[in-house]
Amino acid sequence: MRKKISFLVLLLILCLFSGILLGSVPLSPVRVLRCLIGLDRDSTTYILVSTVRMPRAAGACLAGMGLAASGVILQSVMNNSLASPNTIGVNSGAGFAVMLTLMLGGSYTSAVPAAAFAGALTTTLVIFGLAYMADSSRTTIILAGITVSSFLSAGINTIKLLDTDIAVNLTTFMIGSLSGITFDALKFPAAAIIAALLLSCLLTKPLNILGLGDDVARSLGLNVLLVRMILLVLSSVLSGCVVSYAGLLSFVGLIVPHICRRLFGSDARYLLPCSALLGASFVLVCDILGRVLFAPFELPAGVLMSFIGGPFFLYLLFKKKGGRRVNA
Amino acid sequence: MLEFCHVNINCGLVPVLDDISVTFQKGRITTVIGPNGCGKTTLLQCLNGSSKVTSGRILLDGEDYLAMPLRERARNLSFLPQVRTIIPTLPVRTLVEHGRFPHLGFARRKTGQDIAIVENAMALAHVAPYAEQCADTLSGGIRQRAFFAMTLAQDCDYIVLDEPTTYLDLSGQRAFMEMILQLKKQGRTVILVLHDIGQALRISDRLVIMQDRKIAAASTPKECLQQHIIEDVFDVRIKEFSDGEGCYYFFD
Repeated sequence: MRKKISFLVLLLILCLFSGILLGSVPLSPVRVLRCLIGLDRDSTTYILVSTVRMPRAAGACLAGMGLAASGVILQSVMNNSLASPNTIGVNSGAGFAVMLTLMLGGSYTSAVPAAAFAGALTTTLVIFGLAYMADSSRTTIILAGITVSSFLSAGINTIKLLDTDIAVNLTTFMIGSLSGITFDALKFPAAAIIAALLLSCLLTKPLNILGLGDDVARSLGLNVLLVRMILLVLSSVLSGCVVSYAGLLSFVGLIVPHICRRLFGSDARYLLPCSALLGASFVLVCDILGRVLFAPFELPAGVLMSFIGGPFFLYLLFKKKGGRRVNA
Repeated sequence: MLEFCHVNINCGLVPVLDDISVTFQKGRITTVIGPNGCGKTTLLQCLNGSSKVTSGRILLDGEDYLAMPLRERARNLSFLPQVRTIIPTLPVRTLVEHGRFPHLGFARRKTGQDIAIVENAMALAHVAPYAEQCADTLSGGIRQRAFFAMTLAQDCDYIVLDEPTTYLDLSGQRAFMEMILQLKKQGRTVILVLHDIGQALRISDRLVIMQDRKIAAASTPKECLQQHIIEDVFDVRIKEFSDGEGCYYFFD
C-alpha cells in the first residue's frame, strides 16, 4: 500500500511539473526549474510561470482533489456507488448559485465561493431529504439528481439569457475549464478545499462505519445523523469551491473513486487520500492535453474529461453486468 | 438484566408498540418469537435507535439505557440487525475490526488486545479462513457469520441477534446454535429473534412470545408448552418427540 501511495504522489508531482512546463508556448525545462526555485525573476518565462501556469496547475490540482474526495464521501454517505457531485446535481446547485451571485454583482474573490458552497449544500440536503423521505433505492436518488440538475441548468441558462453582460463564458462554465485562473481568485477556495480535505481525512473511520449501512452503524454506537451531516457539509465545501472557479467539471467525482476502489479497496482510510491524489493528476492531465493537442487552440479540460470519462463510465456499467454489483 | 418498563415505541412517526414491559434475565438465552408483523424487530430495534422510544424506560443492570451516550450503549450491548441490503466490499478482517469501533472511537489506535479479540471473534464464528477475502465475494451464509463475528468483536455482555439464522443452511444453523451456547457459557446474555419455533424451544432458557404488538407471554419453554400459548398464538398443534439426545418438535 505504501508503494502505491508513493507512486501516486510521484505521479502528481510529475503532472504538476508537466502542467507548468507544457502549453501553447513551449518552455525549456531547465529555465522552468530555475524559475521555480526563484531565479531569473525578470525573464518572460518567470512571468508566464508565476502568473499563468502555476495558478492554473494549482487550480487543476485542487479541483481534482476536491471533486474526487467529494465523490468518495457522497458514495459512502448515500451508500450509492453511482453518487457523485455531478450525478446527484450538487455541481449544478453550486453553478446556479455562482451565476446568481454574479448577476447580483458579487465579487469573484469571496462572495462567489461562499455562494457556491451554499448552493452545493442546499442541493445535497434536498437530494438527501428526498432520498430519506422516500426511503428510496439508489436509482431513485440518481433520477432525483438528474431532475434537480436539469432544473438548475435551466436556471443557469435563464440567468445568462436575462443578463448578457455577465462576466462568465457560459459554455466554458458548463463544461468546466481552468483557463485564466489567478492566484487571487484561487486564494479563498484553495484554503477552504485544503481545510475540508484535512478534516475529511480525520473522519475516514466514521465514514467506513457509515458505509456499513445505518442500522449496523447505529449498533456500533455511531451518531449516524450527526456524522452524516458533517460529511455532507464537507463534501459540499469541496465540490462547491471547485465549481466556483472551475465550472461544472464532470466525471472526476465519479470515475476516480471507482478506479481507486479497484486499486486500493473500499477502506476509506486509503480510499480518500488516494482518490484525492489520483483526481488531481487526472484533472491536470486533461488540462494539459486540452492545451497541447490543438495548440494554439485550447479545449476546456471538461471536454477531455467527458471524452475520457464517458466511455470509462460505460465500461464500468457493462463490466459489472455479469458480476456482482459493488454496492458501497 | 435488561428491563423494558412501560415502553411506547414509534417506527418513523407511526406508533407501533404500546406499553410494553418485559424483562430479559442476565446470563440466559431469551428468544423472542411471534407471527410476522407482531413487532419483534421494532421492539429490539429501539436498542440501537432504529426505532424511537417515545415514553417509558429501558434499564440495563439498573442503569437508564436510553440516557447513555450511543458509544457507551454499544460497549454494553451489541446488536446485529436483521436484513442487510448493503454488502461492504471490505476484507472480512477489516469488517470484523469495525466491531471495535465503540471501544476505539475516532482517534485511538488498535492495540494487541483489540487484535486478539478480533481473532477470537473470527475463530468463534468460523470465518478465520476467509479473513483476507472480500465480504462481497463470499456466500450469504459466510457473510452472515462475518457480520456475526463483527458483533462478537464488540465484546459486550449483552448480545442481541435479529434472525441470525436466516441465511444459514442446516449445518450452519447447528454450528450457530453451538456458538450461542458457548456465549452463554462465557456468562453473556443472549437475546434472539427466531422464526424456527423448534429451534427456539430447544435452545432458549426463556421465551418471549409476541402477538398483535403485545407481549402474550414471557416464560420458560416448558411452561409455554404446557399452557398451549404457542399453539394459540401461531394457530398450530405441536407434537413432541424425545430420544436419548433431546426433544424434537413438530408442528401441524
